[in-house]
Amino acid sequence: MKTAQINTKNIAYPPGGILLWIIIFLELFTFGAALIAMVLYSKDEPEVFHTSKLLLNTGFGAINTVFLLTSGFFMAKSVESFKENDLKKATRFLKFTMFGGVLFLLLKSVEYYFKLELGITIGYNTFFSFYWMLTLFHVIHVLVGLVILMFNYISLKRKATIILEDFEASAAFWHMCDLIWLLLFPVIYLLF
Amino acid sequence: MKKNLLLTVWIVLILLTISTALVSNLTIATTVSTIIILVLSAIKFLGVSFYFMEMRSAHIFWKYSIFIYLFVVIGIIIFILK
Repeated sequence: MKTAQINTKNIAYPPGGILLWIIIFLELFTFGAALIAMVLYSKDEPEVFHTSKLLLNTGFGAINTVFLLTSGFFMAKSVESFKENDLKKATRFLKFTMFGGVLFLLLKSVEYYFKLELGITIGYNTFFSFYWMLTLFHVIHVLVGLVILMFNYISLKRKATIILEDFEASAAFWHMCDLIWLLLFPVIYLLF
Repeated sequence: MKKNLLLTVWIVLILLTISTALVSNLTIATTVSTIIILVLSAIKFLGVSFYFMEMRSAHIFWKYSIFIYLFVVIGIIIFILK
């Protein structure tokens, strides 16, 4: 197993790699612009946005935030252990990371199920058009992140070669899902 | 890295999440509660990026980029809602 030291103080080598950080900022600006658009639309239909927000379960949103933050914590611990060359610990923490992601998806599925039961689909009103588009787009990111983490997990289990930069890049992608959710949760579930 | 630093950051993030939910449930939507909710979320965003993603050890360009992004997005949302 190879691990290499990277000088992260260099502008070209942020933790996770410059290409991934370009992607992270593109994603953050995309979600940020969509949230700004949502807030702009809320000024035209304040009543619709307020009554629609009351149909959301804030508890589900808060618990999902806890799941993702906890998952992110284990991801950070996994990278820390990887750097210390303690691959057994890194693998165990990675398993907890993925478990947090799966819990997030399970609770999101329950939330979606209740919405669909009530007939609240993407065309229900402007608020729920944004709700479905933004949260589903985020769920796709979580799914992709889980696939990437699964590849890392299998590689660690098989004692295959993983370089630190690749492992950090995977971790940065996973944390990006946290960052996006930390913007979505307050705006969609709490503001209106 | 100090052994318990990540754990401390995680505890703070969870407490901030609970605080955000409480502020939202205990107050009616006002400009002040909106600002509190968004600022608490921005602090969590910084916690994840600077500690979990280790951006505190990155070049200053990346640190400023995160601050500027948050300032622009959160600032525009508060400006529209006020």
